[in-house]
Amino acid sequence: MKFIVSSGTLLKELNNINGVVTTNPVVPILENFLFEIKDGTLTVTASDLQTSMIIEMEVEAKENGNIAVPAKILMDTLKNLPEQPVTFSIDEDTYSIEISSDNGRYKLAGENATDFPKIPEVSDGFSVNISTDALASAINNTIFSTSNDELRPAMTGVYVNLSDTNTTFVATDGHRLVRYRRVDVASEDSHAIIIPRKALNLLKITLPAENTNVSIDFNMANAFFRFNNIKMICRLIDERFPDYENVIPANNDNMMFINRDELLSSLRRISIYANKTTNQVRVKITGSELQISAEDLDFSNEANERLSCEHDGEDIEIGFNAKFLIEVLNNLDSEEIQVKLSEPNRAGLFLPKEKSDHEDILMLVMPVMLSNYTT
Amino acid sequence: MAHNAPIRKIIHIDMDAFFASIEQRDNPELKGKPVAVGGSRERGVVAAASYEARKFGVRSAMPSKIAQSRCPDLIFVKPRFEMYKEVSWQIRAIFHEYTDKVEPLSLDEAYLDVTENKKGMETATAIAKEIKEKIKEATRLTASAGVSYNKFLAKTASDMDKPDGLYVITPKKGPVFVETLAIEKFFGIGKKTAEKMHGMGIFNGMDLRKYDEVSLVQHFGKAGHYYFQICRGIDDREVKANRKRKSIGNERTFDIDVLGVENQLERLMQIADLLVADLKRIPVQARTLTLKLRYADFHTITRSKTLINQFFDENLIEEVARELFHQLPEDERGIRLLGLTLSNFIDEEEKVGGQLELGF
Repeated sequence: MKFIVSSGTLLKELNNINGVVTTNPVVPILENFLFEIKDGTLTVTASDLQTSMIIEMEVEAKENGNIAVPAKILMDTLKNLPEQPVTFSIDEDTYSIEISSDNGRYKLAGENATDFPKIPEVSDGFSVNISTDALASAINNTIFSTSNDELRPAMTGVYVNLSDTNTTFVATDGHRLVRYRRVDVASEDSHAIIIPRKALNLLKITLPAENTNVSIDFNMANAFFRFNNIKMICRLIDERFPDYENVIPANNDNMMFINRDELLSSLRRISIYANKTTNQVRVKITGSELQISAEDLDFSNEANERLSCEHDGEDIEIGFNAKFLIEVLNNLDSEEIQVKLSEPNRAGLFLPKEKSDHEDILMLVMPVMLSNYTT
Repeated sequence: MAHNAPIRKIIHIDMDAFFASIEQRDNPELKGKPVAVGGSRERGVVAAASYEARKFGVRSAMPSKIAQSRCPDLIFVKPRFEMYKEVSWQIRAIFHEYTDKVEPLSLDEAYLDVTENKKGMETATAIAKEIKEKIKEATRLTASAGVSYNKFLAKTASDMDKPDGLYVITPKKGPVFVETLAIEKFFGIGKKTAEKMHGMGIFNGMDLRKYDEVSLVQHFGKAGHYYFQICRGIDDREVKANRKRKSIGNERTFDIDVLGVENQLERLMQIADLLVADLKRIPVQARTLTLKLRYADFHTITRSKTLINQFFDENLIEEVARELFHQLPEDERGIRLLGLTLSNFIDEEEKVGGQLELGF
């Protein structure tokens, strides 16, 4: 079997799916890309059993055939070749692969394509369409608050709840929570799934800059994403997502409006002086003044700043992990933000002041109990 | 800690016969007499003994029966933990006048890092002296202090001159001091380890130093690293303020062995109630519940269960306690002790102090 393809085009396409390949997979063959040629179309599959990605592209080929190609060697070769047509010649008995270019010839050992695991298909599924813009925005707004805790698997993914009026994306690690809702994505039947973080990260990298449609098919076990010439299939997290609506406080009456950039830069400076393990910053609102301070007793470091804000409520002093606040503020796309608090030991809510018509964002951060060094 | 860090100044304060001294202070009739705090009954254990009682060989954790036989005039006093806690707070407040780097080890002892202190005092010895005086003034109790450049030596020092002692081990004296120190006196080397060391020809710090780190680890596991360091007078452990609680638990030794599954379960549920009460006072998010059970013949077993989420209510604690109990085969032996402990706290894992969790 033989085919000719542009080195640059192939590299660009493989870059879309290379993130799936793990360095130490459960089955060694997963260190390979599966190449399948049928009637002049090359289909390349990468998989880690949980997530698989597939691209299709036109190549010059006279025959059909399949081969598993070591991903790392191939990627390294393509990255270092100047753009040119390269010829792949495959010996289907020995699985040996020869790549020839203007620069020379490279031989590598492939593997039997039939050993590559079969990629599941979604049958009896439901479908929904979403624009790449909406999907990218949903991922970007939520993925940073997913959990790494394998003991709580439901929280290692993003919960997606489709209803007939809107779609809600929720992520939480138990310390913070994001609820991102869109009214321009809906499904006639209600469904809820949890998509693993890795799959969403891969999507985030791969989604094209120009807006196009993504079709999603899913059943209880798998979700299947399709856009342009790319397909991704991932196993869903089969767990019950925590009852997130109940932990979002409804009566945080202590309200404040503040410039997002100013608060963010202030937090970045103050957090330099915070204790490195707790990242604790103290936020004190008195009248229309916001005071942020941090201290690290071990190194005698301390810092504090004052900002002005619009505040309606009782004076309050509350502690937060600066890292969480910075992440939240980084992900809110609004010049002014609204902060809603109630008590120093209750969740704080962070909302954009300017809202777009079709999206609704709520970010929640649990505070840190301030220690006053009394025993 | 980096090796170019300045030499630290650590004080270890240890109250002298704490519980017993408080009892003698509050009840003049007990002064000068052998006193044991703890239950005198059949199953009681000595929680603390006065110096007069110690002369007869009465030690803490000793069964009351044995203590009584060693010292027939021994006076047993019921412990008053609320009072001990109050005194403990008093002395901690004194420590905090000097530094916030205070690591309490229990109600009656603590490490203080006074390298930098609030009063800008130059010597740790002067601080230790002042603290001892203030404790005496405020509580009419005596404390012993050890002053040195790390925790291990400070702790060892406080034990050198008890009661009402003050002992200093300077950086110059440290290594020499450890050389001649009998290994039984090393903090962290217990009876069993000491016996094993004797078998290896190790009797003091000098002997211990002849072994390299690798062979110490081979013989003693992870503790080998620690032994290697301390016998050279090295201990880089920092004084940790606000030492975090790792577990909360409750256990009871019964006056009479409890027989029969029904009775045993009833007792277990009583302990579960106590634990629930503790949990209300000390709100922690624990994932693991451990059942401890000691049979009449002192055979002790523990069984535990870890949940994905924390134990959040009493029903769950009772349910899991019951489940753990029923996992054990039925046994004719009576039960002498039952205990329940919650551990594996969620925020401990996250290593973020005080970070609150969403209550899912």
